[in-house]
Amino acid sequence: MPHVFQQPPLKASRELYEGKDPTVTVYLMESSGGMVAGDRNDITLKLAPESKVRLIQQSALKIYPSHTGETCFQRIDVDIDEDARLEWMPEVIIPFADAKFQVDTTLRLKESSTVLWGEIIAPGREKRGEIYDYESFRSNFKVYVEEELIAFDSLHFSPNEADLRRVGVLEDAMYIGSVWLISPNVDQVDVRAFQETLRVEEGLQAGITRLEGNAIHCRWLGREQWSLQEEMKRVYAALAELV
Amino acid sequence: MKRQKEDLNNHSSTVDTLTDFSLLQLFQIHDSGFPIGSYTHSYGMETYIQNDLIRTKEELVDYCTSYLFQNMVHGDAILIQEAFDATLEKDVEKLLELEELCGAMKLAKESRDASVNVGRQFIRTISPLQDDLFLAEWKERIDSQSIKGHYAILYGIYSAVTGTSKRHAVLTFLYATLSGLIQNAVRSVPFGQNTGVQAMHKLIGPITEATEFVSTLTLEDISNNALGIELASMQHEYLFSRLFIS
Repeated sequence: MPHVFQQPPLKASRELYEGKDPTVTVYLMESSGGMVAGDRNDITLKLAPESKVRLIQQSALKIYPSHTGETCFQRIDVDIDEDARLEWMPEVIIPFADAKFQVDTTLRLKESSTVLWGEIIAPGREKRGEIYDYESFRSNFKVYVEEELIAFDSLHFSPNEADLRRVGVLEDAMYIGSVWLISPNVDQVDVRAFQETLRVEEGLQAGITRLEGNAIHCRWLGREQWSLQEEMKRVYAALAELV
Repeated sequence: MKRQKEDLNNHSSTVDTLTDFSLLQLFQIHDSGFPIGSYTHSYGMETYIQNDLIRTKEELVDYCTSYLFQNMVHGDAILIQEAFDATLEKDVEKLLELEELCGAMKLAKESRDASVNVGRQFIRTISPLQDDLFLAEWKERIDSQSIKGHYAILYGIYSAVTGTSKRHAVLTFLYATLSGLIQNAVRSVPFGQNTGVQAMHKLIGPITEATEFVSTLTLEDISNNALGIELASMQHEYLFSRLFIS
């Protein structure tokens, strides 16, 4: 890593290599234990041409109750240069009761760059019975390839204003999982064949689709965290192998 | 008489009043005889029907209400409104941005393709009826494949150049889309015609409410919370047998 600038509570680990694999693994750590009313995290990543990076979040991102009424913001800006590759498999985002949170994620790629990106959103501290008790949760996720916006996933949940359990919205699902793959080699993925391998069972639904350009998106709606996360890990690893 | 005439003049100068001509033009583009292919798209609803999740009139109304408020209001309806304003300002850059956004936010391939296919059929059908230069230029961009031609954007442009009010453009778009869904449900569930009529009648209140709400929204409010429907639209691509293209 030629440049690292960090300020507590955010910290990046030193770079780690596994054997002869040129992919560098970096852990992203958040030492505060969670975001509190009005906190702001900014994460900016720039991948130099031909670099291969795997970023791992060390723990779940917890959003504490907004006792001041202020929203916590997280902004992630990623630039991936020619022939570079990024894998990002974050932990779960957990908005506690009364939390207010907004995350704006923007990925900018070249035609030749690759990204495999995942995210999981929890309904709250489910095991404590906190289910959709947060105040607001907003996620704006954008992918640009050569300056063209190819995907915009925008969720604006305010459970007090609109029932998320309605038909067509989240229904009985509690966890939302997403995987995004953008790569010049995406046409090597047989989406139909891949779709047939997706595990669908009581309480776990999945879908896969081609986006504009060289991109694939998988989405899960699950009642239970463990099975959703296991299935996402499997799909994530399978896609990582393919491109 | 004089008084009445003045009143009429006042009305015609407000943005929400339509001339008879504009009103009938709106009727025509939403007529079931207008060939834009809405009867071939379910936008994911067919997956719900095949999973046996829409069996009663109440379930159909519930489904349509979610589609209305959690998908259309925060998606296409905002884009129509923005495209309408951008057309009046002749702001082509803005329209191109909206066109890109419209494709990017429709994650499920079939719903995205449907938006383009309906859009292209729409422009093909209306262009012989209109000699508006701005609309012709937009068609030129579609023909030369510099843009895709998403329906919501075209519809916003068309509404602006034909002198429709923004509110009526949104109102009738929401009505026509839900009416299309209901007719498709009548054919595939199957429901009787009367069930369809009653379901649509129940949605009229929510549609007017939704239209009012859309007028308070901007591009910042674009979102799609109807993840169940979006997932169903992704799954629709792989259904074994299907009546609808999307």
